[in-house]
Amino acid sequence: MASFLGRVEPRPEDSWTTFERLRREMQSLLGPAGWREIPLDAPRVFPSANLYDASESLVLMAELPGVRESDLDISVQGNQVVLRGQRSIQYPEGASAHRRERQVGAFHRTVELPFVVDADKVDAVYRHGVLTLHIPKPREHQRRQVQVRAS
Amino acid sequence: MANELRQSQDRTMEVRGKEALQQEGMRPGWVFRPDVDIVEQPEEYVVTADLPGVGEEDLRVHLEKGVLTIEAQPSVRPEDRWQPIHLEYRIGGYRREFAMSEAVDAQGISARMRDGVLEIRLPKAKPHQPRRIAVTRG
Repeated sequence: MASFLGRVEPRPEDSWTTFERLRREMQSLLGPAGWREIPLDAPRVFPSANLYDASESLVLMAELPGVRESDLDISVQGNQVVLRGQRSIQYPEGASAHRRERQVGAFHRTVELPFVVDADKVDAVYRHGVLTLHIPKPREHQRRQVQVRAS
Repeated sequence: MANELRQSQDRTMEVRGKEALQQEGMRPGWVFRPDVDIVEQPEEYVVTADLPGVGEEDLRVHLEKGVLTIEAQPSVRPEDRWQPIHLEYRIGGYRREFAMSEAVDAQGISARMRDGVLEIRLPKAKPHQPRRIAVTRG
């Protein structure tokens, strides 16, 4: 079984990433005061994650297709939300692969937020391979597990 | 200005191997190439595609003239009112086509969607039995 355990091949910077970088630089110059731009990892990391401001909360959406809930660990510490887990793909013996594009292996992503997260108030939903975390703006400071509920 | 920006986005999408297109029966917007595995087993091909955000009702799979087409629009998407702070993926549809080199049994194809992963099983067509044609003496 092919494996990229613990790392995801970064792609060389192409005009897309250049464009993204410029856009982000523009955004950080023009962005709302007090919001720090979250450092972006290499393009096409697994899982890809988007962060939105829904005024009363921040919403983190991560693309985690085929990751079982039992293989996904979400934890909160201080102002960080950590997504950890793994995706394994197994094909029967004797199968020959014509194409293997889907990434496998362990992942670990940390998202830094501009406030301390109250783990009790984080709502996590995993649906159709997308994890959506609703993180109400402010409070507290403790490491807790966040339960993922099936939708 | 808006036009220029739009054009430059279109160009970069192509560089990434993704295309912006508007098609009949699909909502306008970005269209992305999903990551796909294709595995061959003695009796069948298995095509697996990552389609995060897509449920079985959001998906269209068809096989026509030896071309397998996957099209989908994710139903799990951010609300319009949410302001993006940090983006690593864009919201849009998925589309991908594959020409099948070997005959498959179109009647036996099955597809299953689970946790944003599509699995299509395409049984290989049974090889044609050589048929002897009896020649009768006329």
